[in-house]
Amino acid sequence: MNTQPGPDGLLEGVIIGLEQEVLPFVSSEKAYATVAMMQSILQAVRQMLPVYDAYLVDEHNSMTATLRNAAAALDGVAGPEADHIRDRAATLGQLPDLPAPADREALIDAHTRLGRALEASILDLDTIQRQPDTADAGDRSLMAIRAHLAPRVVRDTAVISVSAGMIGRG
Amino acid sequence: MDDRLAQLLHRLLPDVDHVSIEALEPIPGGFSRETFRFDARVRRGGAEEVLPLILRKDPPAAAALLITSRQTEHELLEAIREHTNVPVSASYGCEMDPSVFGEPAMVIQRMHGSGRTSNLFHDGPDVDQADDVMAHLCELMAELHTADISKLNVGGKLSDPRGVGIDTSSWDAYMDSTFDYYIRSYPELAYDPIAMIILDGSLWLRRQKPRPLPLAVVHGDFNPANFLYADGKVTALIDWENTRIGDPREDLGWMVAMDNMSNTTVMSHPKQKGGFLAYYNELTGFDITPEELGYFMIFGTMNIAVPITSAVKRRVMKEHLQFLHLYLLQPSITTLVAFTQLLGYPGATPDTDPGANA
Repeated sequence: MNTQPGPDGLLEGVIIGLEQEVLPFVSSEKAYATVAMMQSILQAVRQMLPVYDAYLVDEHNSMTATLRNAAAALDGVAGPEADHIRDRAATLGQLPDLPAPADREALIDAHTRLGRALEASILDLDTIQRQPDTADAGDRSLMAIRAHLAPRVVRDTAVISVSAGMIGRG
Repeated sequence: MDDRLAQLLHRLLPDVDHVSIEALEPIPGGFSRETFRFDARVRRGGAEEVLPLILRKDPPAAAALLITSRQTEHELLEAIREHTNVPVSASYGCEMDPSVFGEPAMVIQRMHGSGRTSNLFHDGPDVDQADDVMAHLCELMAELHTADISKLNVGGKLSDPRGVGIDTSSWDAYMDSTFDYYIRSYPELAYDPIAMIILDGSLWLRRQKPRPLPLAVVHGDFNPANFLYADGKVTALIDWENTRIGDPREDLGWMVAMDNMSNTTVMSHPKQKGGFLAYYNELTGFDITPEELGYFMIFGTMNIAVPITSAVKRRVMKEHLQFLHLYLLQPSITTLVAFTQLLGYPGATPDTDPGANA
């Protein structure tokens, strides 16, 4: 996956593009308001993305505890409704806590540094490959890097590419 | 803008008494220049006529996909019209003073024909014309690639139009100086570490230099969207801003890349001639192999990728905020996949032979 730009940079770019390249040419009041609402939604997604996974995990773990706590508070209460709550505490309330997701900023930083290391290695390998006595070893080493990159970029394409052809070309 | 256009046309057409601008409107698409269509109603010696025209204007420098000269493009178009049968717009001239239109601009003839080239493919309404149009396109490309360089390279401006140290004194010098340009440019385009595939491709090109062919004038952006057609013929080849001296296989390689990216099938036509490459070889005698085409797909793609990906990086670094450059990340990633396949990356294609193209 690209780290530069990541999803936030792309969403920010769409918001700016709407502001600078679409809104000035919108003459309908309804369309103008709709574009502004789209910008608002996109900004909301930008704000959700950094915390979304962490909040879901936190809330998941809190809800299982809450189900257990709610059932515990009904100690001594009889009846089908109380039984339903105890059943939920005994089932969903027993789901194991999920681990907190990795810190996104730290992950992006480490990912970028590793990518730059592979990039620098490709440059070094070119020198090794151009020497007759080390060319074969250089080829094998480069192939190890390529074996990492190929499935990665194919997977990226499936996620990033959308249209069947390039928009605006004939 | 109408008044400024009229003033420019008065300067470019000194025999005209009166000019009025009509129906000025932007043309969508055309990624590297801002283009506008308009009609100029002119009066010349008492007679009135309407000139169908196009204004091609440079974008702001930071957002430019290609830094090219309108003056050079003007001189080239006129030279092509004079010395070849390749149909191109007449160029009326340039306004190089950026204070007039915001950036340098040129005025060219608006040519007859459809630019909706996607109609020629798949189930498009003009699919019955595809073979004839592509045969003509191939003939025009063969003519361009075998034209006398000295007639088209006005003032030597096509030898190194980007001013990046390209040496066209021989095929070897051209290739070596171009490898150097690609490799040297990598830091300017590496918007993300995944661009290392481009670096790998540049270094591979240098290690795998193919047999020479005579240098030629290459269109430089020969792709499925850069021609107009009508009645089974190409009526114009357009977008000559990246034209330069190079290896003719570059144009074919770039067409292969853009055919893939544009979901078109130019290279499979004309079918009765065995496809574009077979017919081109028949016309030129160059005997270009599919392997060479693969090599020059990367070589030709690099020529476009260097300036375009550099502009994308400037957007990522927020040196400008043009939306188009963010969108270009999508076709860029598709190009990276094509690179991995051509370079024989393990796992890039089902039948990849590991180590085949290291």
